[in-house]
Amino acid sequence: MSIGREYAGSPVRAPERGGTVSERFSNQLIALLPRLRRFARGLTGSMAEADDLVQAACERALAREHQFQEGTRFDSWMFRIAQTIWIDQIRARDVRREDGDIAEERLGSDEPVRRVEARLALDEVRHAVDRLPPDQRMTLMLVTVEGLSYKEAAEVACVPVGTIMSRLARARAALQLKLEAGAGIRRSRNDAEAQ
Amino acid sequence: MQKRSDESRDEALVAYLDGELDSAERREIEAWIAADSGARDRIAALAASGVLVRNAFDDVLGEPVPQRLIDAARGIATPFSASAGASAAQNAEPDARILPFRLRSGGARAPRTGSLWRWPIAVPAAAALAGMLVGGGVGYYGGGGGAGDSAGRQQAIETAANNAWLDNAAADYKLLVSTGSNALLDVPATGDPHEALQKISQVVPQEVRLPDLKPWGLNFRGARLIALEGRPAAQLIYTTDNKAIGPLALIIGPSKQTELQPTFGQRQDLNLLYWRHQGRAYVLVGQTDIGYLWGIANDVAWQLDAI
Repeated sequence: MSIGREYAGSPVRAPERGGTVSERFSNQLIALLPRLRRFARGLTGSMAEADDLVQAACERALAREHQFQEGTRFDSWMFRIAQTIWIDQIRARDVRREDGDIAEERLGSDEPVRRVEARLALDEVRHAVDRLPPDQRMTLMLVTVEGLSYKEAAEVACVPVGTIMSRLARARAALQLKLEAGAGIRRSRNDAEAQ
Repeated sequence: MQKRSDESRDEALVAYLDGELDSAERREIEAWIAADSGARDRIAALAASGVLVRNAFDDVLGEPVPQRLIDAARGIATPFSASAGASAAQNAEPDARILPFRLRSGGARAPRTGSLWRWPIAVPAAAALAGMLVGGGVGYYGGGGGAGDSAGRQQAIETAANNAWLDNAAADYKLLVSTGSNALLDVPATGDPHEALQKISQVVPQEVRLPDLKPWGLNFRGARLIALEGRPAAQLIYTTDNKAIGPLALIIGPSKQTELQPTFGQRQDLNLLYWRHQGRAYVLVGQTDIGYLWGIANDVAWQLDAI
């Protein structure tokens, strides 16, 4: 008996295209959900937006199941769908999250001064990633976090491999600067508090 | 080596770190790093930032997947959420009851039977009042419970912590069952089930032993490595043809929390029986009838000296 056979249910209907979703396809999708959420969190900067993005990506994937080619990477296909929706969304909202935009809002807000150090470090990293330009952020998530090769990331983003290389290098360099700056601010704050 | 621009230098070093260079290019970079202390410092900084980025997003993998996403993946139309935590709040289950484990007498093994009447499952209502109220008004993603005094805050924190690990346990189970296959198992039980346990035990901080639940008709299918209370834990998966029991997960992980008597909880259509004993946390999760769950928990506790 396979796990949950009785509970997995019959093939379900995808309302978008009026067809039947194969159980195998849905299972692949469900198994990928944690990684999709991580990828979407990196793109959107918030878990609520990430979950909405993942949901939209699932719906689009089910509607386009017939377009997925067996033998190719399912995760890359889903990342591509998610990033396409995300780009459409930020264009529609005319959101420009260029370097510094949101960072300044966050740095200027009343962030708790006393936070657990490790937590603060991870928050800083996530904020630093949020402040990257969208194309660099996406490349960083695809390669550095999700572990795609440059070639695979290039296929997801529909750009040449050289573009991936340069985006990635710029992202990593910018990240390095932001993290160093954050550490500097923290040191100054600690010094001021100590005096 | 020819002087590189900053961007070209970073491209080469990052590609080296990502394993994207051929052997000739790798040798060239290695020679450069060996000769140039600036390149060494730079590659060390880039490598560190890569690790930080991966770590910064890894906690998402350990979070429970909202039911609406699982539904969406199965083609079931669900509304989008306007704010984080809405679905989790709906899932909150304000019901938890502490149950006394049966005492063993003279080392005798607890009888194994599916006859529900043999088990002391009449849960005293008073236990619910005396025990920890799991899910009582504090959502998994939600913040504090608004308690006014320190005792109240402490209780809110404990409640939230309990919610988190039980939500995770339920979500891990749902994720596994929803796939309906062995695809998610880290270590399938092929042939010798103890081989699977050995592999899992190499990763989790404490050795994991495998309870034999065959008398309940439960067959060990394999194990997954999951996070429980923020630390690696083993999720042991059992299946059966008995639909009153269904697929069952037993999670065993290290715990730094205080001892906890066996407590019954629910998450949507799932029943959970959980307890902590001698630095370990145990959670039984399934759609299993509570009577069976209680009997199985007794058996697990007896076999693993977990009470």
